[in-house]
Amino acid sequence: MKKVIENLRETAARLLQNKEAEVVIGWGLGSEAVRTQPVFITSPDNVDKLVWNPFCVNGLTKYLSDLKTRPGKIAVVVKGCDSRGIYRLTQDNIIPRDKVVVIGIPCAGQMSYTKLASKMDVSGQLNDVEDKGEDLLIKTSKGDFTVKKSEVLLDKCLTCEHHNPVVADHVVGDTINTCPTPDNYEEIKKFEAMSTEEKARFWLSQFERCIRCYACRNICPGCTCRECIFDAIKPDWVGKEINVSENELFHLTRAFHLAGRCVDCGECDRVCPMDIPIRLLNKKLLKDCKELFNMEPPGSTEEGGSVLGQYRLEDPEEFM
Amino acid sequence: MANKSLKKVQLKSLLDKIAGSGQLIAPIQSDGITLFKPVQSGEGVVLDYQNAVIPPKDFFFPQSEKMFSYDTSDPTWAIKPEEGVPERVLFGARPCDVKSILLLDKVFDAEFRDDIYIDKRNKTTIIAVSCNDCRHTCFCGAFGISPGEAEGADLLFTDLGGRYLVEVLTDKGSTLAAECSDLLSDDDGNGPAAKEKAVAPAKEKQMNIDLEGVKAKLDNMFEHPIWAEESLRCLGCGTCTFICPTCHCFDIVDFNNQSSIGYRYRCADSCQFANFTRAAGGHQPRPSKMERIRQRFMHKLRYFVDRYGDFGCVGCGRCLEKCPVNLDIAQIINKVKEVG
Amino acid sequence: MCSTREVAHPLLPYPATVTKIIDETPDVKTFQVVFDDPAILENFGNKPGQCAMLSILGVGEAMISITSSPTRKGMLEFSIKKIGRLTSVIHELDVGDKLAIRGPYGNHFPFDMMKGKNCLFIAGGIGLAPLRSLIDYVLDNRDDYGRVDIIYGARSYADLCFKYDIFDRWPKVKDTNVYVTIDREEEGWDGHVGFVPSYLEELNPPSEDTIPVTCGPPIMIKFVLQGLDKMGYKDEDIITTLEMNMRCGIGKCGRCNIGEKYICVDGPVFNLAQIKQLPPEF
Repeated sequence: MKKVIENLRETAARLLQNKEAEVVIGWGLGSEAVRTQPVFITSPDNVDKLVWNPFCVNGLTKYLSDLKTRPGKIAVVVKGCDSRGIYRLTQDNIIPRDKVVVIGIPCAGQMSYTKLASKMDVSGQLNDVEDKGEDLLIKTSKGDFTVKKSEVLLDKCLTCEHHNPVVADHVVGDTINTCPTPDNYEEIKKFEAMSTEEKARFWLSQFERCIRCYACRNICPGCTCRECIFDAIKPDWVGKEINVSENELFHLTRAFHLAGRCVDCGECDRVCPMDIPIRLLNKKLLKDCKELFNMEPPGSTEEGGSVLGQYRLEDPEEFM
Repeated sequence: MANKSLKKVQLKSLLDKIAGSGQLIAPIQSDGITLFKPVQSGEGVVLDYQNAVIPPKDFFFPQSEKMFSYDTSDPTWAIKPEEGVPERVLFGARPCDVKSILLLDKVFDAEFRDDIYIDKRNKTTIIAVSCNDCRHTCFCGAFGISPGEAEGADLLFTDLGGRYLVEVLTDKGSTLAAECSDLLSDDDGNGPAAKEKAVAPAKEKQMNIDLEGVKAKLDNMFEHPIWAEESLRCLGCGTCTFICPTCHCFDIVDFNNQSSIGYRYRCADSCQFANFTRAAGGHQPRPSKMERIRQRFMHKLRYFVDRYGDFGCVGCGRCLEKCPVNLDIAQIINKVKEVG
Repeated sequence: MCSTREVAHPLLPYPATVTKIIDETPDVKTFQVVFDDPAILENFGNKPGQCAMLSILGVGEAMISITSSPTRKGMLEFSIKKIGRLTSVIHELDVGDKLAIRGPYGNHFPFDMMKGKNCLFIAGGIGLAPLRSLIDYVLDNRDDYGRVDIIYGARSYADLCFKYDIFDRWPKVKDTNVYVTIDREEEGWDGHVGFVPSYLEELNPPSEDTIPVTCGPPIMIKFVLQGLDKMGYKDEDIITTLEMNMRCGIGKCGRCNIGEKYICVDGPVFNLAQIKQLPPEF
């Protein structure tokens, strides 16, 4: 981990020094031991703010969309799952590929803040993290804590298609040779086996909680419409009223907008303050697209786009 | 009224009794999430929770509420205000959330008294529960709030192990205590001292945030680069504002389903959304995330003080915990103190 | 500069009926309305400069300044520029159609403080609408006030609002001068050409005992304020209005604040000294 951090800082300093990038978006220490926060480094003197540890959960690619009008190139640090967001953005013409410098870090898995907070005092400042194989030794200003990785790993990391970034102009850290563990959609199959009523009961009770903060949309590298339909004042497709029917319309519309485009970074799940399992909706669509079109996780390759947004002459036109 | 005592084993009976004679709102857990909900009995009411994800503010200022219905095919337009709420009891509000209701009073029970809010306030008896423990994100002490005091509540319960100390804070509380007198006994006099001990951990464990000088500093920090810096990582979502017990901004919208019959509702709105201040015609005084996060922190720590004489934050820690990018108001307070 | 009142349901609007519509410009219409319940108007108690929330049920609400003076009894007038969804729908209304109104909101022009003084009204475009309530108030109480100078401009002749007032009614009132300008030369226009701020400097009306009140587009206000400063007016005597997006009108919905001031209750009328105290966020 220390070598990766050193490498990361050197790379960032070099990019800024040589004007190969005007800003480096990465992770810095957060206000609690097991949190990091996105940082935006513009001077080689500040690269020491960049960190890499098992708490770098935030996907950073969406910030490219915020900063795309800045002069110069933007460097962004990505893990495997986030890296698919790069191609999402370039395929959607949100930002040209040559405006972005991708710093990739192979990642063995990230730890859940919620799970960690239930196991240790997370309120201190992080001094060091040591990878002890099965365990993590987390040294904080409030004491040292040993946690079992398997108990605090983010759920999404239990299955991981890309430990190594799918795109990187600079790789810091060693390639991870663990076999990818593609999702076999066991959880989705459970839902598919449910009756319509059971599914409705489950989902409506989830949607009922939604407070329409739009964190899921705002973190999503696939949600880059110039004017989101949920913000549109005219016509007001989805009402602002918070009730289960408007909330349902919001979630289902969003899921369908992302069908064949969702890069499955899982950030929507993480950012939801109401713990709505938003990613499950996208997963179902990923599964369907995989079965129907043999689709790889969107964003895995530079070419392509959305399987549902492409037209080929040989496409069957059963619906016509 | 003198302090009362309630055997812990009788709490459920007390809640059953309240639920039996009116509406009871209490914290319950489902899908692992603690939320205040109307309940039919004391069954399933959680007591050891540290804070509900959504504050009980929602029962005074709901995230969405109908204001009136209308029918434009009627020659008078038949504008009918919504009926008020029934008499009800809110059980389990924590001291920080009780204080937040006092802050909301300053907004809604002021010039142009907001009748919809006041109806709910008047018809609600609040039973607060002291905090024996706290989350690591709690910092109510910074705002002069104590885990064992709840000015604004009608009754205050404190868990003393085998029993609750029941402090009667208002006439409304006294009425409710009298209705439940069969379950309450007089406190033996040891209650207050035991309470101090019971809430000590919550006082000690919480973050120590000192607001000394912060307001004065912010008075001169409108143009400070800190806002641009901190805003870079903001997602512009509404999480912090929607889970906040003191945020009171709202929008007013009509729903009509393409017919003559419809209703006008208000719903919570967020200063973090671009549409919040965008006017028809395009005027936009807060065009970027910088202006919007500045508004949020300035509103809580400076404007609210200037307007209402109190901070617009109670240190409940919800936004610290839920912000997806770790934009932490406690950290901002500390940074404001550090910067030149 | 503050006056508000208690109402039973502060967010509940009252139905009113359009009794007259005047086409002012290609995108501004003036609507004369009466409440369906005459008692509401009797108790309305609006003062010059105050606003009201106008709504079409099912579409939405917007804060609009009341352009008629309270001295003109029996009706309210609103001059509305078509700029968004609601105002477009309002522009489609015919005489006899309904809208809903609640108010009045906000503070008002300092018509008491202005008594005995000369008045200098400076307006651009639709900015004459709020000022008109004060101008008519002053002219209807003519003997309480000194000389009245009105400087008004718009982009073109067609864009001048209240032509019947500026060319006909007001100039006939004693000791009242109306100076009208348009931005660019135009066939058939033999009046002044130029922007309002430069016309003001050109006219350079005497500043002794005079209260200037200005309303208009932000850019015009900016240069008018600079001009007034040069002419030696004190900040406390320069009166203008601020505008922000509003929803509730009663200081609760939280979107029209500039610093700790809510424009809907503490404004829209401010003097320049007060404005200089506000954070620059408008």
